[in-house]
Amino acid sequence: MTLTYMNIMLAFTISLLGMLTYRSHLVASLLCLEGMMMSLFIMATLIASNTHFPLVNIMPIILLVFAACETAVGLALLISISNTYGLDYVHNLNLLQC
Amino acid sequence: MAYVLFTLSVLLVMGFVGFSSKPSPIYGGLALIVSGVVGCVIVLNCGGVYMGLVMFLVYLGGMMVVFGYTTAMAIEEYPETWGSGLEVLGGLLVGLMMEVVLVLWVLSLDETVVVSFSDTGDWVIFEGEGSGLIRGDSIGAGALYDYGRWLVVVAGWTLFVGVYIVIEIVRGN
Repeated sequence: MTLTYMNIMLAFTISLLGMLTYRSHLVASLLCLEGMMMSLFIMATLIASNTHFPLVNIMPIILLVFAACETAVGLALLISISNTYGLDYVHNLNLLQC
Repeated sequence: MAYVLFTLSVLLVMGFVGFSSKPSPIYGGLALIVSGVVGCVIVLNCGGVYMGLVMFLVYLGGMMVVFGYTTAMAIEEYPETWGSGLEVLGGLLVGLMMEVVLVLWVLSLDETVVVSFSDTGDWVIFEGEGSGLIRGDSIGAGALYDYGRWLVVVAGWTLFVGVYIVIEIVRGN
């Protein structure tokens, strides 16, 4: 069971690394953010089941609710970028370039 | 079949490597859906039936659908998959190799990481005292509306304001 926890924490770290590196698309980083939220959800649910503490199940549900809200805001920003520039390429976002 | 939970968690990591190696986002969404299904089966294996259902409905059924059609709006003509180009394939192979090496290394340790792998006391799920008819996780999540009344009010108001924020962002000027 401990190795399962290690694998889930490893999945979180891999998603974090994926979110911090940019290739060409912005929505790929949003996908990695979703992966982070999902791994946190799985971890919290496993801890709630294994320690027989059912009240902790409130935390993953609230986490999922706010992760959905955050996804909506991220996708709205993506849509406004896509309306301005045509695609969501990261190298289009160069207004602050000196 | 005794180690099905561990195998599923290894498959979860491999699915996460699949979308973290940043192919074109439509393939990343596919990998995220597969990882979500594997994660849901992990949650189900530990007795969290209600949480698995919530994850399937809200996460895979709601958010991934929204991601799917938003990505379909912002996609290029020839999307880049895992086999096209060396960066994505290299990232995928490095991630898979790292996972395999790490798992084999931890399995070969004789001393304990926190608790060792062959300590079978870890894998037994102890039942409570005679409460087998009530699933623990659905009761615990239902307590959100009992002890967490104010949390529901605050979260509901936050989501309501969030919808207005999204509308204003999309409207632009």
